[in-house]
Amino acid sequence: MRTPYKPRVARKFIGSYRPKIDAWDKATGKTQFADDITIKQHFPDLLYAKVLRSPHAHARIKTLDTVKAEKMPGVRAIITYRDPEIAALPMTSAGWTDGVDTVSYDRMMWHRFRDRHVLPEVACWAGDEVGVALAADTEVQAEEALAAVRVEWEVLPFVLDPIEAMKPGAPLVHPEIAPNNIMPEDRVGGANVFVNKGNVERDLAAADVVVEGRSIHHNATQCSLDNWCCVVAWDDERLTLWSNSYEADQSRMHISQMLSLPVHKVRVVSSFVGGQFGRGDTGDQPFFLWTALLAKRTGRPVKFRHSRRESFHDSRQPAIYDGKVGAKSDGTITAMSFNSVGNAGAYADHTMFALKFAPMEVTEVAFAHIPSVRFESYGVYTNKLPACMMRGVGNSQLNLVLGHMVDMLAEKLGMDPIDLVIKNFGHEWGKRPDESLTKVLHEGARRIGWSEKRHRPGLGPSYADTKKRGVGFSFHPGWHAEWQEVRRGEVHVGITVNPDATVTLDAPTVETGTGSNTCNVLGCAESLGFLGLRVEDIHWVSTVDTDTSGKDCVQTDSAVAFLQSEVMIDAAKEVRNQLLTRAAAVMKVPVAELDVAEGRVFPKGAPEIGMTVKDALLRSDRVPFTVKLSRAPLSQRTGVPYIATFAEVEVDTATGATDVLNMVVVNDCGTVMYASGAEAQQLGGQVISVGEALTEEIIYDPATGYPLNFNWIDYQFPTMADMPEVEPVLMEVWRGGGEYGACGIGEGTVTCGPRAILNAIYNAIGMRIDDIPIKPEKVLRALGKA
Amino acid sequence: MAKNPTGRKRTVKKRITHKVRRKTTAPNEVTVPSPVAAATTVSITVNGLRHTLEVGRDLTPSMTLAFLLRERLGITGPKVPCDEGACGACTVLLDGKAVLSCMMLGIEADGHEVVTIEGLAKTDAVVEAFACQCEPGYGTAMQCGICTPGFVMAARALLNDNPRPSLGEIKEALSGNLCRCGCYAAIAQAVQHASEKIAATGERA
Repeated sequence: MRTPYKPRVARKFIGSYRPKIDAWDKATGKTQFADDITIKQHFPDLLYAKVLRSPHAHARIKTLDTVKAEKMPGVRAIITYRDPEIAALPMTSAGWTDGVDTVSYDRMMWHRFRDRHVLPEVACWAGDEVGVALAADTEVQAEEALAAVRVEWEVLPFVLDPIEAMKPGAPLVHPEIAPNNIMPEDRVGGANVFVNKGNVERDLAAADVVVEGRSIHHNATQCSLDNWCCVVAWDDERLTLWSNSYEADQSRMHISQMLSLPVHKVRVVSSFVGGQFGRGDTGDQPFFLWTALLAKRTGRPVKFRHSRRESFHDSRQPAIYDGKVGAKSDGTITAMSFNSVGNAGAYADHTMFALKFAPMEVTEVAFAHIPSVRFESYGVYTNKLPACMMRGVGNSQLNLVLGHMVDMLAEKLGMDPIDLVIKNFGHEWGKRPDESLTKVLHEGARRIGWSEKRHRPGLGPSYADTKKRGVGFSFHPGWHAEWQEVRRGEVHVGITVNPDATVTLDAPTVETGTGSNTCNVLGCAESLGFLGLRVEDIHWVSTVDTDTSGKDCVQTDSAVAFLQSEVMIDAAKEVRNQLLTRAAAVMKVPVAELDVAEGRVFPKGAPEIGMTVKDALLRSDRVPFTVKLSRAPLSQRTGVPYIATFAEVEVDTATGATDVLNMVVVNDCGTVMYASGAEAQQLGGQVISVGEALTEEIIYDPATGYPLNFNWIDYQFPTMADMPEVEPVLMEVWRGGGEYGACGIGEGTVTCGPRAILNAIYNAIGMRIDDIPIKPEKVLRALGKA
Repeated sequence: MAKNPTGRKRTVKKRITHKVRRKTTAPNEVTVPSPVAAATTVSITVNGLRHTLEVGRDLTPSMTLAFLLRERLGITGPKVPCDEGACGACTVLLDGKAVLSCMMLGIEADGHEVVTIEGLAKTDAVVEAFACQCEPGYGTAMQCGICTPGFVMAARALLNDNPRPSLGEIKEALSGNLCRCGCYAAIAQAVQHASEKIAATGERA
């Protein structure tokens, strides 16, 4: 039995340890995912689509012959890039929005980088969906027909490495956007030098101590087990999309804009998603469009589902970060400079979000007291898998170098890195030392046994002759406080009180596993405390259907955990008013003289002569009443809480193998909304962080540019047997705006792990390794053994 | 962390060896007929209901058991994220043993008894333990839940064979199932809780 966290404010529902509201459905296999909803039994005339994938890293379709394929059994429609309805589609992106807001074509976040054709003529990476898609009666028939399409390719030169791609004469991926493969400056990301505060050169020159280092983050991928899946069907001129997009409203906007349909002619239905992890933000997937066009041509519903191989669809942005940090001899950091080169892969998508947008936010909230800060960044096109969104986008890459600089600087100054961090980092609204940062780091240090286990690099005892142990940590500011979510616009909730005093809750969000549906039910029970509800008296509407739901609050930034619950506080006041009005008519008492508490309505001061809410409603007209409310997130700038991960490793200096022995994950949550769900996120995030640190990497054949490990045997993410002991630590130190003052935590739980592990490896063996994943050969090379 | 100096080879091996794969049935089981000798009909009991299926009409010789269950019988509990035996989400019981239904042909199940997650009672100790896990410090035994049917069935098979597994045995037996949400610690807790309940009540699926 581990120790539960202690809530700052005792509440009946919020912050509790309990099963997820959908735990029984999930444990009994009843939960229906997109692939389950769209089986043929539910769509008897269903067709199956397949799309051509480029076998080359860079190639143009010279000729395309579909004559044989058209005659194959079961084939119902073939659509190619030469068809007018495809050719008419505008250039697009798979990164219209980071998911926070719904955007139209004109307002897409990275409008400068509309580099995708739908079913293009040119393939920009080996695996690109290009040229032709078709629909047949069965999946096998569709596969066979696709194999019968004859394609003659003009194979083009390709480039995989971003440094090579920046050199003159390199093969160009999107010359019309990036004449030298370097993505140009744009309005959203800003200039190449996008942060330039103070005078970095002057302060570095004047510093007593300067450290320099490099960190390279490779291309992990999300590995959602729920392969992208959609069915599109038309009813006259009206289209319905069933899919596992976690952005229903954005999917509707995307389809409406790209196919020139009025919004009300598009219906989008999303229910449970089997894991998101930022996978291919967003609702803007080009395959929705050609699937829709195949459905239109055939007049039948068409299903398209990725195979596992096709699900290697986008990755984290690989980024090479060079850092330089200067400090006074007392440990006061005076200058920080970071240069990064990011490998966008074949399409820009959210590359600039990772390289510029996320670091800008971190600068604002964590580097506010550093006099000089400079960031310079270049996103570079290559012929690799495109980099889009992945849990911890941009922050994970930045953390890898930030934690590196801190560790190096502390060593050179002869300081404990924990003291160095506390001395320097904080947001502009707060004082140093930042209370959240201090408590998070001290708690993590206590739990991992920092002072007992930390030793001089490489100088600890040996275990079993060849093994060395070490501890390390990394920290990061949270980035999901309410004020940071203002761009979402209004957040919708609908509360319907049924005549038996139970509640139907429309808190629209596509549940991806984060537990925010449970947060919402707990928030609803808490805010409607006067109804005396139990959790099981609330029915959460699990399907987002744009015909009937409010706008879905997208599970990006892990902020759904509190955003909708904050709106419910307001909605509950209106529910109370409406309830009292109804009860007043039944009880023949003026509204002003009535009160309601714990499920009973009664004249003020006389609870003994009242009646239950249920009785009152059953004696009224028995019409359920609904309060629908929306409001924008509070914009009051409250700063952010801090997060940290501590790791203890054992490195075998004979084999180069690294074992993570223990991890401690500390999150200041502001308010814990749902303790079991928050812990699940803290623990679960380490499957990604340990994987990224040690094993996860997409490997390409340098001769052909072909990816070699698009499967889960060769792309290795941790199993149960691979995971260390992880201790989740929930804290409530900082406080945001609103009733709860919470901050999303789930996304960031992946961010500090890789650097914590790298610093622990350094502590163990006294050698630094710059790039993850830390495979045994890199350790041996660092030790001079390979 | 697994002591695994060479990366993943060992884990990979583990992933496939703990499951009963094609034609490696237990000694006391009916021999699986070869596809060549297959009758025109196959008879498979799924969750207690016997299905007589005509080869050619209801299923093809190359159809996987996972496809047969999901697409022909509408039993969608088993999931097919990888379709190549790497993730365990399609795990079902074949005569009480865990098998990967994506790695087995439908016709190979002829004469056998298949149990999917739909065939377990809500009162099943494993189902209950997965649903109820919220012990502080371990999180919940599922988040998105897409891997859960596979984990539940693999855990059920483990406990059928070994009602009191150690933590190490649990990790070994379930390391062929992938959970990207990362609920491994809570799943291990759930399996231990189920084991305790089974020991107390003598329940067996």
